[in-house]
Amino acid sequence: MTATDVEREGAGDGQRADGVEPILVVRDLIKHFPIKGGGLIRRTIGQVKAVDGVSLDLYPGEILGLVGESGCGKSTTGRAIMHLQPATSGSVVFQGRELTKLSRGKMRPLRRDIQIVFQDPYASLNPRLPVYDIVAEPLIIHKLARGEELRTRVRALLELVGLNPEHANRFPNEFSGGQRQRIGIARALALEPKVLVLDEPVSALDVSIQAGVINLLEDLRERLGLAYLFIAHDLSVVRHISDRIAVMYLGWIIEIATTDELFARPSHPYTQALLSAIPIPDPRRERARQRIIITGDVPSPANPPSGCRFRTRCQKFRDVLSESQQQKCIDEIPLLEDRGTGHPAACHYAEALKIL
Amino acid sequence: MTTLTKPSAESASSGSGALLEVTDLSVQFPTEDGLVHAVRGVSYSLRAGDVLGIVGESGSGKSVTSLAIMGLLPASAKVTGSVKFRGRELLGLGDKEFSRIRGKGIAMVFQDPMTSLDPVYRVGYQISETVRRHDKNASAKAARARAADLLELVGIPNAKDRADNYPHEFSGGMRQRVVIAIAMANQPDVIIADEPTTALDVTVQAQILEVLNTAMQETGAATVLITHDLGVVAGMADRVLVMYAGRAVEKGPVDGVYYTPRMPYTLGLLGSLPRLDDAEKTKLTPIKGSPPSMVNPPPGCPFGPRCPLHIDKCDEREPDLVEVEPGHEAACIRNEKLEGDVEAADFFEADATDLTLAEAVVADALPSMDGASAVQPATTPDERA
Repeated sequence: MTATDVEREGAGDGQRADGVEPILVVRDLIKHFPIKGGGLIRRTIGQVKAVDGVSLDLYPGEILGLVGESGCGKSTTGRAIMHLQPATSGSVVFQGRELTKLSRGKMRPLRRDIQIVFQDPYASLNPRLPVYDIVAEPLIIHKLARGEELRTRVRALLELVGLNPEHANRFPNEFSGGQRQRIGIARALALEPKVLVLDEPVSALDVSIQAGVINLLEDLRERLGLAYLFIAHDLSVVRHISDRIAVMYLGWIIEIATTDELFARPSHPYTQALLSAIPIPDPRRERARQRIIITGDVPSPANPPSGCRFRTRCQKFRDVLSESQQQKCIDEIPLLEDRGTGHPAACHYAEALKIL
Repeated sequence: MTTLTKPSAESASSGSGALLEVTDLSVQFPTEDGLVHAVRGVSYSLRAGDVLGIVGESGSGKSVTSLAIMGLLPASAKVTGSVKFRGRELLGLGDKEFSRIRGKGIAMVFQDPMTSLDPVYRVGYQISETVRRHDKNASAKAARARAADLLELVGIPNAKDRADNYPHEFSGGMRQRVVIAIAMANQPDVIIADEPTTALDVTVQAQILEVLNTAMQETGAATVLITHDLGVVAGMADRVLVMYAGRAVEKGPVDGVYYTPRMPYTLGLLGSLPRLDDAEKTKLTPIKGSPPSMVNPPPGCPFGPRCPLHIDKCDEREPDLVEVEPGHEAACIRNEKLEGDVEAADFFEADATDLTLAEAVVADALPSMDGASAVQPATTPDERA
């Protein structure tokens, strides 16, 4: 049995009761990568279950943070949503249109509305193109502007992301990491998208630079009314920028809540461990903290544990639960639902705990 | 050979009781663009049991400082100043003599556990090798047993069996445990941990920091913890040294530096960090611009071009570290402006633009570019437009 056999209720979170329709609806998204054997006939001998039944809603103008450690499937989720890597199954509905079944050609006009910013600003910009060409390219491909209008728009875009438009003739290697990331953002904004998928947009940057890019992303959301799917591993950054946060572990969303709610009442043992593990730059507070240390490493997504995927590292499973309770963790997949903690968490024994 | 100039003849122990005494350490690398001044006059001393955090952003020289102390820099590097371990000058030691100190006197934990272990040897062998290198009397059997003990100490389950595994059979966190076990193997007096958790996920980082704590207690070693993560230092270190452009720009007790920073850079760094424990969404205050070129550092304060407190006098000469409170030094001529209860937002703007191109980056780009666009001054209007 996989997580998808089960209807994962409450992924919409129930947080939005004001009748606003989500702009992006993801349901039971699955992305498995085949593991090929080494023989002459490269048969598929297994599946890496990178994303295994992810459901989430993104509302217009909202920033949804998607956090998790390396290998939890957060980037794959972003790429599968963008249809950059076709999903194995599940649905992604953007403004009423199903994306997962679209051909490349049919998908292209929709790319105007969903754009992506990549993690590494050194690898995601063509080093042989001047910045002007990089930012103008999407406008040319989609035949949205030419001549004088194109030039004006590129200049406006560079200004919008806080760069000096006079540097449009420069090549990417003349810019700092933060500035390169801004170029990537300008390129993504060129088509005036409604949704931006930001895949670790600041994790390659030094903190003093990172802050400027975070401020820029906040400003842009306000000025342009964009919705972001903000994928990151750094919960401090995610807390700062997000309205809601979904926490991923081994291909699943294991807890989803508004930012304030998640930090005030983290309910899944993994979220609790994650919050407790992050060091705070405040010596007195940091020395006084009690750490929840979870043991071991993330299991292989090719062969995830039965039942609850976190049980092999779970501090609650290890220290608190009785044997019969543990059996439930081993046998039954915990649904992502509200168990009285105020928001959905995928733990049979979810219980809000104050960490910070 | 590493070229160097010794400031004075080997003197006897400095008498301060310091285990490791670094004085005016400078490192220069010749490159095509000129001499890169990677470290410029760093001094600190470490007593038994001390935990010193060295923080700084990429390129600030924090790693090069440690590599220089360990004598691990390439031969082309020009190292000057003095590094004394138990009163003995290390700079200028031959490789053979240095090998007696490395691992035994001063041990190092490197950032990347994927590359700091040898992939073709079993981890148990790599630990026992370290043991036997410094203890010629240790039998192979005893060294193996010690390796297993060490692996157990750093929290590797089934240590005896796991000692026969190769590095690739371990996860990143487990490998870093092995690296720490190697560092602990000879009960060193000083452990230098260079970004020991940067390559790891936070839950694993918490485990490794715990192991590092164990290692420090077990060996009683003084520790230098190098990291870009101000949170890690806050919890682990007693004292902190902030590096910028190859210099120590502020040093002192952790509490003093974090709560009452007196160098604008430190204040700016703290203000640009999003806080996990902060429910209020205050705007972050980035530091404008980029660090200066290390080929041609500006004449005055290296932070001057980015500093909100900058005045003309700052450009006259590079400020020295001056004591602002007992044990707390800052390299800023206007440090009294930061006295009292100040916030980063009092000086730094919550800005979202990044308008100036870094000189250093342009200089790097010059040779590979066609002249026309590279030499174009920033003020020339965009001709394409």
